Formats: sequence, structure tokens, C-alpha cells
Amino acid sequence: MTDRIERQLMLPASPPEVWEEITDPDRLSEWLADEAVLDLWPGGDAWFRIGDAIRTGWVEEVSPPGADGECGQLAFWWAEGDEPTSRVEIVLAPSRAGGTELRLVEARPLEVLDLVGIPLPGQGRTRYGPALVAAA
Amino acid sequence: MPRHPADAVFGALADPTRRQLLSAIAEEPATATELASELPISRQAVVKHLGALSEAGLLARERVGRDVRYHVTPAPLSDAVSWMAEVGGQWDERLAALARRLA
Repeated sequence: MTDRIERQLMLPASPPEVWEEITDPDRLSEWLADEAVLDLWPGGDAWFRIGDAIRTGWVEEVSPPGADGECGQLAFWWAEGDEPTSRVEIVLAPSRAGGTELRLVEARPLEVLDLVGIPLPGQGRTRYGPALVAAA
Repeated sequence: MPRHPADAVFGALADPTRRQLLSAIAEEPATATELASELPISRQAVVKHLGALSEAGLLARERVGRDVRYHVTPAPLSDAVSWMAEVGGQWDERLAALARRLA
């Protein structure tokens, strides 16, 4: 029952081209947010303005697509104000037709833990991680 | 008593019959007798499953005459559903915009 949404779509552009779209702040501001700042290293800042709303967070993973067909993967966490933080993961896989299959997952795994009063990860209890996946 | 609230939640939702009961009750509050008449399980089994769901905090009991009617506790589930609808709708729009840029 982890809160989670998942989307998949085929794009008529190569993985490196799509990677630019999902990591370059100028391009992100064309489709994801009105303004975007993304420091492309684990632990880097993620900052977005969507209309009047500001979302802040941090970058977890940055793996550009490889020349040998390796998938690209970007993961960051974001939250607006006091809202629970959620994790966004975008995976780019090359498709046979030369395009890209984009898979997006946004989930707020901490929400369930918070709901039942369990200390959040980093506070010494992580044993419920696998159980969350199993219950999803 | 469950060892920990989370154990009860995950345990309760891990069972397909309990998920079925929970979605039936989410549509309309019901008594164990009503649920047993709708589903291919005994009233006794329904009562046992409802107990697990109640202990997990997913159901609340309401006494109606001699019967007990169960309803879904609103906070955890409806919050999750509205989050998924809102966030899902936002990504549908964003990804459509991305697809238009690359078309």
C-alpha cells in the first residue's frame, strides 16, 4: 500500500537526447516545471518552481545512458512545504526502433511509515523497507 | 495484540481475501453477515479477517442494534487515493508535454 504511481511511454528520440530533456534545467523548465535547478550528483540540490509552488529536495542517483545500450537512470526526492517527501525515478531504456522507453515512478515510501508512527529511515529503523515493497 | 502497528497493517493487507473485504467495505459499510452473503467464505472466516483489519487500524466498528457495521477509516486510504490521483494527473500532463517536445 505504498503510495506509488507509475507511467511508461515511448519517445521518438534516442536515450541521450531524452537524458538531456530530463537533466538540463533549461529543458526541464519546458515540461516539468517553470524553473528548475538540478545539481547532477548524488546529494546535489533539486529545486523546482511550478507556478507559485516551490519544491525542494535532493538528487539520489545520476546515471546517464551508456553508449552500449545501458539504461539511464535519474532519481531525486522532492517535497512542497510540509508535504511528505516523495521519490521520483526516471529510467530510460533504448527501444528497438531507435527511440526511448521512459519509465517514471513517483512514490512516497515514507508516508506509510509516518502514518503508523514508525521512525523514518536514518533514525535507526529500516526493517520495514522490504515489507513495504511486498505489500505494494 | 500485534507486536507493532506496521506488522498489523502489512499482515492485514498481505491476504487477498482481506483486500477483497476491505474494498467491499470501502464501497459500502457492511456487517459481517452481509459480507459473508456476498463472498464465498463463511461468516466465521469473515469475522476473523475483519478482526485483523480492525487491529491494523484500517476498519472501524459501529454498533447498529445487535449488529456491528464496519467502515473504512478514512484517513490512511482516502489520503493515499487522492495523492495517487493528483500526482498521477500531474505526471500525465508533464509527460505529454515532454512527448510533444520530442515529436
